[in-house]
Amino acid sequence: MSTATAPSPQAPRSGADASPPRSGAGVRRSGARRATSLFAHGEPLVWLTAGSLVLALAMIAGLLALVVAQGAASFWPQPVVRVELDGGRVLMGEVTASEDYRPEPSVLDALSPEARVRAREALDTSAGSARRRMLRIGNYELTNEHFAWFSDFQQVPGSESLPEWALVIERRTWGRFYGLPKAWRVDGKVETTDPAEIHERLERERELAEERHERILVLERDEIGELNALQERARLAVRKAELEHGARSPQRAAAEAELALVIASSEARFGELQQQIRELRDVNRSRELVLVTADGIEQALEIGNIVRAYPANRIGSVEALGVYLSRWGEFLADEPRESNSEGGVLPAIFGTVVMTLLMSIAVVPFGVLAALYLREYARSGPVISIVRIAVNNLAGVPSIVFGVFGLGFFCYIVGAGIDDLLFAERLPNPTFGKGGLLWSSLTLALLTLPVVIVATEEALAAVPGSMREGSYACGATKWQTIQRIVLPRAMPGIMTGMILAIARGAGEVAPLMLVGAVKLAPELPIDGNFPFLHPERSFMHLGFHIYDLGFQSQNSEAAKPMVYTTTLLLIGLIVALNLAAIFVRARLRRRFLAGAI
Amino acid sequence: MNTSLSIALAFSALSLFASAPRAQEPAARPTVRVDERYADYRPVQGVSGSIKSVGSDTLNNLMTLWGEGFKIQYPNVRIEVEGKGSSTAPPALIEGTSTFGPMSRKMKAKEEDDFEKKYGYKPTAIPTSVDMLAVYVHKDNPLASLTLVQVDAIFSKSRKAGQVNDVRTWGDVGLSGEWADKPISLYGRNSASGTYGFFKEHALLNGDFKDSVKEQPGSSAVVQGVASDRYGIGYSGIGYKTADVRAVPLALAGKLPVDAEIDHAYDGTYPLWRFLYVYVNHKPGSQMDPLRREFIAYLLSKQGQLDVIKDGYFPLPYPVAKKTLESIGSNVSTREAATSR
Repeated sequence: MSTATAPSPQAPRSGADASPPRSGAGVRRSGARRATSLFAHGEPLVWLTAGSLVLALAMIAGLLALVVAQGAASFWPQPVVRVELDGGRVLMGEVTASEDYRPEPSVLDALSPEARVRAREALDTSAGSARRRMLRIGNYELTNEHFAWFSDFQQVPGSESLPEWALVIERRTWGRFYGLPKAWRVDGKVETTDPAEIHERLERERELAEERHERILVLERDEIGELNALQERARLAVRKAELEHGARSPQRAAAEAELALVIASSEARFGELQQQIRELRDVNRSRELVLVTADGIEQALEIGNIVRAYPANRIGSVEALGVYLSRWGEFLADEPRESNSEGGVLPAIFGTVVMTLLMSIAVVPFGVLAALYLREYARSGPVISIVRIAVNNLAGVPSIVFGVFGLGFFCYIVGAGIDDLLFAERLPNPTFGKGGLLWSSLTLALLTLPVVIVATEEALAAVPGSMREGSYACGATKWQTIQRIVLPRAMPGIMTGMILAIARGAGEVAPLMLVGAVKLAPELPIDGNFPFLHPERSFMHLGFHIYDLGFQSQNSEAAKPMVYTTTLLLIGLIVALNLAAIFVRARLRRRFLAGAI
Repeated sequence: MNTSLSIALAFSALSLFASAPRAQEPAARPTVRVDERYADYRPVQGVSGSIKSVGSDTLNNLMTLWGEGFKIQYPNVRIEVEGKGSSTAPPALIEGTSTFGPMSRKMKAKEEDDFEKKYGYKPTAIPTSVDMLAVYVHKDNPLASLTLVQVDAIFSKSRKAGQVNDVRTWGDVGLSGEWADKPISLYGRNSASGTYGFFKEHALLNGDFKDSVKEQPGSSAVVQGVASDRYGIGYSGIGYKTADVRAVPLALAGKLPVDAEIDHAYDGTYPLWRFLYVYVNHKPGSQMDPLRREFIAYLLSKQGQLDVIKDGYFPLPYPVAKKTLESIGSNVSTREAATSR
């Protein structure tokens, strides 16, 4: 009986589950009524329903295709083009866009006479439309531009070329550099001027420089970070002693002596570490790549500043694939640079995942308990109806309202209270009294609570009455029945609620902007320092990162591909979280089915 | 054939002269450099702790760049940046939830009073860099220049600058051909932004914006809006300029139009320029704690000012920086002596 009415327990069974299970027979009888009209046949409705499904799928597929096409392609290395323009300017860079347009007469007026004649002729043959291309020219410190447009008629005829040794150089600061290799210098001494040799040296030295860079990071983050934490703790101990025992108490004096000791011992170590870092930096600084830009300006780049360098016009598709993959690797595993417009998004991935997991941990038990009471214990009446309506309405409250509530209640009331009680020594710097991971998770938990409650209620209602009755007949109490019979049977439905909650929560950004997501968070919310999970810290979030890249970035043209890749990543992450939940649900269901036989 | 070519050449040479004052793409644009007198930043001992910055989104990227640079000097300092608009800076400073309040405008009297009510002194404004508000049009737009009065008439419904007639189409500001009857599509910032406030005060003379201004959530969004709208016009910081838009030269009444170039901001001929500030809670006359003092010293060092250029803004004139450093008790000459060991 139960398998006949509920072939797929995970699908929220609309309508039918509100009525008692026995009504299945009645539904079947009314469906078997004799029908002659077209509508009764249902033909148009089949078309309507199938049409809506196709429309929905087409929209999703279109969006995904756009994101995947833009996001997946943007890391592929492009050839480097060099063009000479009328007026003497020489550009070199990667073509990033191309379009046809109708030039204004004023554009032609600015050309030199010969070029104008050529341009007129070209425009006449093409009915007034011309092609223009956008080059990523980089070299920002020399040009104050990242990109430049040029039209075909502006270039000196035959000047377009693909210089064999043109190097694309991605740097830690100042963005990309395009140039031709001129020399390899060590400590100011030119060692070689042959392009092939320069490139070979560059490859080898870059790896060494990368290792030194990693070493610097480890020294800075772990060793110095630890010294810092020690000092900070000692400083807080002084403050705490002062608050608890007064400014002249012996406890404070003791803490102060302790602090002086900690500082003295850590300062020496600190000096050592800084010396090590300085030495590593000096080595990275001493090896220089000298390049000539397209306009003939010489520029030396230190190896420590180079993230990636490749001769774009020489590499074959295998090497190009290598560059492509290494860019993805950097994107996924590195920290952002240059105010987030370059580098990776690891902290944002991390923040999103941890926040979503914390949210699930908070919302699922809470929602399931509430739904259990509503469905199993509460006597149905006007009060319960009102509660149910309120819960359903909660799902329709705009998410930014939850954000405002989270800020006002969690951060400013609860958080400030916790600070006063537990972290008084850190005031006026707030610990919990500001946006943070915990408050974000709880705010999103509130936001997704209705989803979980509604899904759980549906799942509980779908448990056949006969199973409960069987349990009661064996003498089980109400709680035993719920615990042993109802909950396991409803588990897949509860998991569905959780999946929906994750999907909603991971993609939500608006409330997070108020309660803890920031543009740049200095530290991950989980690290090696006690107590390992730091729920009070602000965090980075992929959704907020997309907003930031899309609307706030200074170099918005370079940031655009990052917007697509980050979007792709966020969608991928949500799919992965959902798949994990679906996998768990499938296992649960199998266990339930095995147990039933 | 030959004669027609030479006629064409002669004609075009003439028109070249005619259009000479409007240099389209100067081959050698002057690049911005940091004043030689700015000293290299040298780290000192005893700086640690965490910095939290809440405020302007114009300064958002710059604060992040400064943060990244400061962290290289002091790996042990933690820095958090939040930027949702200049109006969010004063409350955070007053509540004590932030260390620095970057603002793209000066604090309003009300905001200063609120601060003073709580602390008994006014917050200190540190000028950090120079920004120019540019009026952007699509790169294909042939518009040569605008007067500030025209800008007011384009963006404002009150037209306090004195223009009688409303400007609705590109023809109203003198464009011909296909542009003449095309309506102007307006882009601007949302009201929490200091850019919005500054433009309203200095270009609109506190008049009201037209309802048709499409308010954007970020400075870069304005530029992107104009970039994708052939008939668009918008205002935003010069740092957000891209290859898809063009900054229109602006003219004060009765003066020649001036390009949005830094020299024109320094000598005051470009009408819409401003300092970008970082506000800090500092009791005048007292000693500032090392963390904040050094951060400010970093902003006003060679490295800090290079970051300014990197972000597309302009370095602070050196005398202003020197005066500011002295006012916070970080005497430049003693600093140099103290840090040279």
